[in-house]
This record gives sequence, C-alpha cells and structure tokens, in this order.
Amino acid sequence: MSYLLAPLCLLTLLLLPLSLGAPISPAEPISQAYSLALYMQKNTSTLLQTYLQYQGSPFSDPGFSAPELQLSSLPPAAVSFKTWHALDDGERLGHAQGAFLALTQHLQLVGDDQRDLNPGSPILLAQLGAARLRAQGLLGNMAAIMTALGLPIPPEEDTLGVVAFGASAFERKCRGYVVTREYGHWTDRAVRDLALLKAKYPG
Amino acid sequence: MALFSAFQTTFLLALLSLKTYQSEVLSEPLSLAPESLEVSIDSARQCLHLQWSVHNLAYHQELKMVFQIEISRIKTSNVIWVENYSTTVKRNQVLRWSWESKLPLECAKHSVRMRGAVDDAQVPELRFWSNWTSWEEVDVQSSLGHDPLFVFPKDKLVEEGSNVTICYVSRSHQNNISCYLEGVRMHGEQLDPNVCVFHLKNVPFIRETGTNIYCKADQGDVIKGIVLFVSKVFEEPKDFSCETRDLKTLNCTWAPGSDAGLLTQLSQSYTLFESLKATKCAPRTLCKHKSWCNWQVSPDSQEMYNFTLTAENYLRKRSVHLLFNLTHRVHPMAPFNVFVKNVSATNATMTWKVHSIGNYSTLLCQIELYGEGKVIQKQNVSVKVNGKHLMKKLEPSTEYAAQVRCANAHHFWKWSEWTRRNFTTAEAAPSEAPDVWRNVKSVQGHCVVTLFWKPLSKLQANGKILFYNVVLENLDRPSTLKLLSIPAPANGTELTLDRCSYQIHVTANNSVGTSPASVIAVSGDPGNKEVEEERVKGTEDGFCLSWKPQPGDVTGYVVEWCERPGDPLCDLQWKNLGPNTTSTVVSSDAFRPGVRYNFRIYGISTERIPYLLEKKTGYSQELVPSDNPQVLMSNLTSYSFTLSWKDYAAESQPGFVRGYSLYLKSKAARCLPGSEKAVLSDDSICCKYKIDNPKQKTFVVENLQPASFYEFFLTPYTSVGEGPQGAFTKVTTPDEYSHILIRIILPMIFSILLIMILCYLKSQWMKEKCYPDIPDPYKSSVLSLIKSKENPRLTIMNVKDCIPDAIEVINKQEGTRKSLTETEPTKPTYLYLLPTEKSHSGPGPCICFENFTYNQAASDSVSCGHVPVTPKAQPSQLGLLTSSENVPKALGKNYVNSLGEIPAGETNLNYVSQLASPMCGDKSSLPTNPPEPALCSEYKTQMAIPMGLASPPSITLLDEGEHDH
Repeated sequence: MSYLLAPLCLLTLLLLPLSLGAPISPAEPISQAYSLALYMQKNTSTLLQTYLQYQGSPFSDPGFSAPELQLSSLPPAAVSFKTWHALDDGERLGHAQGAFLALTQHLQLVGDDQRDLNPGSPILLAQLGAARLRAQGLLGNMAAIMTALGLPIPPEEDTLGVVAFGASAFERKCRGYVVTREYGHWTDRAVRDLALLKAKYPG
Repeated sequence: MALFSAFQTTFLLALLSLKTYQSEVLSEPLSLAPESLEVSIDSARQCLHLQWSVHNLAYHQELKMVFQIEISRIKTSNVIWVENYSTTVKRNQVLRWSWESKLPLECAKHSVRMRGAVDDAQVPELRFWSNWTSWEEVDVQSSLGHDPLFVFPKDKLVEEGSNVTICYVSRSHQNNISCYLEGVRMHGEQLDPNVCVFHLKNVPFIRETGTNIYCKADQGDVIKGIVLFVSKVFEEPKDFSCETRDLKTLNCTWAPGSDAGLLTQLSQSYTLFESLKATKCAPRTLCKHKSWCNWQVSPDSQEMYNFTLTAENYLRKRSVHLLFNLTHRVHPMAPFNVFVKNVSATNATMTWKVHSIGNYSTLLCQIELYGEGKVIQKQNVSVKVNGKHLMKKLEPSTEYAAQVRCANAHHFWKWSEWTRRNFTTAEAAPSEAPDVWRNVKSVQGHCVVTLFWKPLSKLQANGKILFYNVVLENLDRPSTLKLLSIPAPANGTELTLDRCSYQIHVTANNSVGTSPASVIAVSGDPGNKEVEEERVKGTEDGFCLSWKPQPGDVTGYVVEWCERPGDPLCDLQWKNLGPNTTSTVVSSDAFRPGVRYNFRIYGISTERIPYLLEKKTGYSQELVPSDNPQVLMSNLTSYSFTLSWKDYAAESQPGFVRGYSLYLKSKAARCLPGSEKAVLSDDSICCKYKIDNPKQKTFVVENLQPASFYEFFLTPYTSVGEGPQGAFTKVTTPDEYSHILIRIILPMIFSILLIMILCYLKSQWMKEKCYPDIPDPYKSSVLSLIKSKENPRLTIMNVKDCIPDAIEVINKQEGTRKSLTETEPTKPTYLYLLPTEKSHSGPGPCICFENFTYNQAASDSVSCGHVPVTPKAQPSQLGLLTSSENVPKALGKNYVNSLGEIPAGETNLNYVSQLASPMCGDKSSLPTNPPEPALCSEYKTQMAIPMGLASPPSITLLDEGEHDH
C-alpha cells in the first residue's frame, strides 16, 4: 500500500502548482497601466494647449476655459470625492473603461474634424493620433486588470451615436475642446484610480 | 355722394361687362392669380425658395406674366422686399423664384406673399393685378431647439471685402450677451428682445481656417459662435494662350490667379469653351489641370477659334477670351532624321526632316554650327519636308556640332526645339613645316647634332602627327641621302655625323600626308669663333635683345637660350626671326629671379647654316649675393695683413658681382685712409673698404696698430645689394719686438728641454753617483718576521729611548778604510758618562750599545762582545759579516748546534728585557734576579731566533748595528 502512496504523493506535489490554477496577479497589469497613465498625464496639457492654439479666438486666448461645455456622449470625469472613494473595483474600472472607450472614439472624430478645419497643422494631428493610441493602450491594460481581478469586461459600445455629423465649424471646434479637456481629466482620474488599486494590490 | 355712388356702380358694371367679354373671347377662367405658393428655406445660402403655379390657363397657352412678390420681416407690415418677376407661364407649370436674405433667416420671422398680372401684348386688356396670396410665414426660430443661445449664419463663405450680417438668438431675457470678432467686441442693433444683429462691413481675410465670431452670456459659461470663412478675391487666369504642334491637338495654358486663401472650402474649376463652332457634342471641356488643357482640333479644317476660359469657385466666376487662327499658332515639332553626311576635311552636309504643318506650308529652319563651344556659322533654310545644308570652310580634323530647329515660315509663332549632331572633319596633310633647331657638339672628331623641333599646332597639323621624317643630305657627296623616321611624340633626335657638311630636312607626317620640309644645314666647320659675351638687363617682361645687322645675305636670325640653365637638360628654346629684325624681346614664364640666362644669337646664311653672332647674358631680376666668400688671412704683421678669397665663385651668384665690401672693426676711433665709416645692421660702427673690381680677389689691410685687436668681414655686392651678414673674423696684430724675442727664447727652451731629457735618461747613473740609496730598517723584511713572532714584546729599540752613558770616540783614520777585514779593529775610546767601578774585570769599557742577536751561550761566553764599529757603512752585507767574524766564531758552536736537533726543553733561550741599568756594574743595586750574571751592564738587543730562520735576517740585524752613533 505504502509503495502505491509514495508516487501518488510525489505526483500531487508536482501537480500542486498547476492544479491551483491561480489567477495572474493583478499587481503587474496595474503597475503597467499606472505607468502608462502617468506618461499620458505628462502630455495631456500639451495636447490641450496645442489644440486651443490652432482654433483661433476665443480658444487661443490666454486662460481660455469653458467648463460648462460638455458633450452628452462623453461622460464627465468630475465626480465627488466621496462617491469616487466609495466605488468598488468593478465600478471604478468600469467607469474608466467606459470613459476611455468613448474618448478613443471622440479623439478619432476630433482628428477627422481637425483634418478638415486645420489641414495645415500636422503637429496637432499627430498629437491627437498619439493620444488616441495611448487611450486605446490604457483600455487594453484596464482589460488585463479586470481579467486579473476576475471582473467582467464591459462590451464595446458606439458612444458617439448620431452626434458626429452636421455640426458647424465652431461646434466642431468646441467639441474638440471638450474632448481634449476631458481626455486630460480622465487621465488624471485614471492615475488616481490606478494608484488606489496599486496600493490595494501590492506586488 | 350720390354722384360718387353712381360712378362706382357704373365702374363696377363696366368691369363686370369687361370680364364677361373676356370670358367670351378666351373662353377661359379669368382668375390668373398665383396659387399653391410654397416657401422653403436654404439655411446654408440664406435663401428663400418660392414655388407656385397658375392654374387658370388654357391648355397649350403661354402667357407672359409678371408676379409681384413682397417679403416682410418680423411682422407682415414690415415689408423689406418688393420685386416684380416676369416670366412666361404655362398651364400648371411650377414657377420658382429665390431670394437671398442679407439677414440670416434664423434671425427673424419672414413672411411672403405675391400677386400676378398678365403682361402679354396679346391680351393687353388683362393687365391688372390679381389678388394677393395670403402671407406665407417662414419661422426658423421655432425649430431651433432649446439651447440658450444661437449665432447665425453658420459656416458662411464670403469674399474679402464683402458685407456680412450676423445675429444671435437668445432664449433668456435676463442675460446680457456680448459678441466678439476675433476677440474684439462687436456692437449690434437689437432686432427684438431676443435677437441682436451685427452688420460687418468690408470683412478682411485673416487666415485660411476662417474667422471666429462668438457670443457669450455674462452669466454662465454659455459660449456659441460661428466660423466666417473669408476668402481672397478670386482672380482671373493670366497669360491664356493656345498653340498646336501637330494641328490635331490644341494645348492651352494659363497662369491661375492667386490662391483664394482657403484650404478646402473653395475649390476652383476651369472650363474651356469654343464659341465659333460650338457643337453639341463638345461645347466645352472641363479641364483636369489647374494651368493647362488640351482641345482636340476638329477634322473639318476650322481655322479660326474663339476660346473662353472660365475659372470658377463657389463665390465667383471669371472668364478670359482668346481669338486666333490655328495656322498662326503652330509650334513645330523638333526636326527628325538629322544626319551629317559626306564629311570631308573642309565640308559636311546636314540633312533632316520636318513634320508637315499643312499641305502648302513652308517651314523656316535655322542651322547653327558650333566649333569649340562657339557659334561659327548660322544659316536659315526654307524647308517643306526634307532639309539639306552644306557646311563649308571647315577645319580638318576638328570636332563640330551642328543643330537645327524650325518654325512656321509664314506666320512665325515659336521655334521648335533644337536637334543636335556632333561630327569630326577628316584629316588633311600638315600645312606647315615644323620649326626645327639644332645643337652641334664635336665629340672625338665627330659632329654630334641634336635636332629639336616644336610640335605643330592643331591648326597646322590637320590631324594626328604620326611620325617625323629626317632626311640627311651630305653636301659633299650629293648622291647620298639618309632617311630617319622618328615616331610622333618625340620632339627631337640626336645624330652623329662625320665632319662633312650636311643639309637636314625635317617633315611632319599624319595619316594623310607630309608637311612642307624644314631645312637646316650643318657646316663642316663648326665656326665656334670666340664671341664676346655681353651683359643684358632683364625686366619683368623679359629680355630685350638687340644685335648688329649682318652685312650680306642673311635669311633670318635665331635666338637660343636655356630655360633651366643649371639643368643638364637645359630645356633649349629658340626663336626664329626675320632677316630684317635686329632686336627682339624674349619672355617666358619659366624665367626666375636670380638665375643667369645665356642667350646666343645666330644668323642663318642662305645655305641655311647658322653661325654665332653674339652672346648675351643676364638676369631677369638680380638678387643680392647668396653667400659670402671664404676669406683666408695671411702675412700678418704688426701693421698689416692680407686677405684672399680666390676660391669664391662669383659666377654662381644670383646677380652680377660688382665688387666687395670689407668691414673692419677696431678700437681706434678713426677709420684708416681708404675706408669710411659704416653702420652695420646691429647698429655697430665699423670701417668699410670698398673693392670696386669684382675680379680682385686679394686685399691688403694696412696701417694697423701693433698689438691691436681687429675684426673683419668681407661680402660681395651686386646691383641690388650686399650679401648676407656673416660673422666677423678676429685678428690681433703682433707686438713689434715679439718676433725678436721669439728668436732667442725658442732656442733656449729647446736646449733646456734637451738637457732635461738627457738627465732623465741617465738618472740611474746620476743617482748612483750622487745620492745612493740608504737602507731603512723600518722597511726591512725582517720586521715582518719579528711581528709574526709569539712574543709581541719583542721590538726594536729606538735610539732615542736610550740614555747614553758613554760616548765612544773613534779616531777616524784614512788608512783603516782600505780593508775592513784586514784592518785591526781600532780601539775605541770610551767616555764614561756614568760612574762605574774601577775594578771591573771585563775588557774595555763596560757600557756599550749593542744590537745583537745572540743565544744564551753566546752571552755567557762573551761577557761583552764589542763589535768594532766602522765609521762608514759597509757597502755590502757580506762585508759586514766578514768584519764581525769574531762573533760568528764565538757563536759558531751554537749555531751548529742550533742547526741540529735540539729539544725544546733544552733550548735554553733566555729573553731578557732590555732595560737600561741605571748603574752599570753596581751589583748591589741590581734588581733582584738580575737576568744576567754579567759583570757589567750591557744593552743588548736580545732576540731568540728560531733556528730555521736564523740566517739572513740576522745579517740585517747586524747590519743595523753598523749605524753611526
């Protein structure tokens, strides 16, 4: 009997690391996402300033700000601290995921608008394109975190709907302003979200 | 009043009757009012589109009608526009009319109504207005939505300088709204409480991406705006022109006007329209390119064309016109099949073909011939289809380029492009004889002639020179001819001839033929007569040489020189000159300053024999001498010395040496006669002698002071200046009497030296004679033996340690010295220094000094062995031994014993310290155990000598004892 048990125990020992099937540690994707968000944060104000500089007055006026300008298709980043702090991981990541999904689509729209309104400004177009790619990258990182935490990944939606066409040039300029501004706000919020998660799931 | 009512009734009746009449005539309903009026809005263009119809018309009836349209704003009573619109109307035809509003339609409510009237000559009686239609209201504001603020018009496109009206519509009554154009606040007029209108006049172009106009409420962050796209004024195309190359296609080109200044909003289009024969098939062509367009020429030989180019964008249309005859706008194609044929040395024929430009047209063609990059011939030729042109007066063996172009001969428009061909003419025989010169040397009875010739120029050679023929004709034997052929790159040859006279013919040959011969003769007599060499002064331009004209027949002169005089290959140059010439200037880039060039001038006789006339030598530029002579000084006396520099090569200096300067430095303040004061470059002052004769190579400096110090320096000078500054040579003149002194002192020194040498050689002899060696006991080898003894106390007594107690006076007699061995020992006289007992038994005085090696037996047997001391040292040790023979006799037995085997215990050796007894012979005062039972005190040097070592050192000791006291 004992001679049968011994190899079995050995097999069990060998299979133990495999049979556990532990989910991938969320620390690494969180850390990666956090690094990317920090990097994005450094460029958001540059993007906004570049964008405004190309739109003419009043956008290019010093200190221009129009916080009440919003887009119904883009969720605002502003949230009360209490609400924000009370969010669980799923909600927190879900909000960010939804926002950056919308942002990638809106940045695409703004890029198209600017290609029409400011065709002679490759710097602006390049920055808008880079911002969109980074937002997509952050989306991927967040999906990895959600997978690591065992959370369901929300399906991709068409956030833009019918708002895209028929807007006047001025409206398109305003729209671009809101998108680039919210991109900055959402990046700031994502940095804080991820910092919180990082503290929660230390490597 | 009654009258009025009656009149009214009458009028109405009449009208009614008229209407009845009309209905009877036309058999149509009489009401021709516009009906079904519909108004639509084009917000983008700010247009109201009206459409309506007139129903009461008969079938197929067409009537001219006029419609009066009224447009009111805000309220119907505020009519802002009245217009009569005339048109032909059919039954149930939908009529359309548009009106563009200055004010954006969103800014205010508009109302439209209209009425119609027949305006037809057929029915003049119906010329009265119908009833107005009801007001059609257009209110866009109601459909705007619920935003608090709107600004209109959106994205309007206007030209620079136009007037634009802008308005905002606010939903809130409380808020004050401010509007800005590029940040500058605008002031408008309130149209109604919610609407404000701004009239912008003469709007400027600011940027391509448009001008922002925005409004915002004072409270809240509501911001709304529009972008006004202001374009630059669209310009008409310039330089519109059409031409054809093949009479099949017209190519029209133009320069588009400046850009409208908007990147995407305004696209331009260009349309080409031919109005003289506009067909339905191709009335116009929309051009694909911005600056050119092609038009297919119709095959029915239309000659005249009237083109209209229309440039158009969203805002404006511009047109330019061009009327022309097709045959006047022919730009021919470049000629083809161009060949250069029949190329000889001087001629060539060019042929070509042209594309036809019509059945009867002629082309004018232009031919240009290029040689060495320049046009050398230009010719115009009329051509139908085939062209041909003969080019003459060409140079043989030369590269040329020929090109041709053509244009319409009758109606010149433009030249075609050039077609170019290169060709090279054929070779011809060289046209000129080579320029030949010779150099004659005599080597071992033979005449070595070196021939030189210059290569022919390209013009003279007429092709590539392949070889040179040299024909030698012996003048003494005319029948003998010798031919040498020398391959081409050579520019000379060397011939060894006998002393005979020769005539030499040189010709240059190319592939075609031979040049004329160049003849030069070599005389049997070299005729190198001595000719005086003259100096000639060169300048920057060269050497100007002249010579005396020669009497008799001279066919010419030749000047010869070397361009590199120092080089073995001196690069011989020559110059041919005519018989009437007696001077020439020889110039060359090879001439260098400071180089001496030699020129020889020859006359050429009628027999072509050159003979030397003159020699010239000179420098193109003289320089200062390059080096100074090596000066030798001789004949130095108290008053003079002589300098000589015979080896100095004045000829090799870079200038003619004109003389020499001698600088003399001395302490004397004044310069000697024949010299003058001069200041050197280092500011030192010295005396300068000038030697004007360059051939003088010696100089005597005279009138010097004896026993004085002088320094001198010699340098040559040319016409330019003196040689380089060198070191001074020092010299001191001798004293006046010193030479006499030398004559005496020198022999004396010699004789003294001789004596000294002799003395040295004979020194041994001298020494023996004058001061022989005295032996020194301290240097005796016995000493070393003593030291090696066991008893370290044994030593040699010093004389100074002894206290003498008696002096022995020796009567020195000359006769006793004859032979020491034979002579009786002289009886010494003892002076008693110390008191002694008189009754002593020993022989002689008792105190003696003895230095004696002895043994006990000896001391016992001999109470006081006095050794007779000779006043003089014995010359030999043997002599000493013999002189003291009494001692060996006394010692003899013991010596013999000691030589035998003596036991150590038996050896009765007694070492006695040699102490000076204060009282010699006073036994009572003797210390206890006196060492010796001697009767009297004696000082003895007591030594025990080992028997084996006893022989020679003892002799030395004995010898010691012979010292004089």
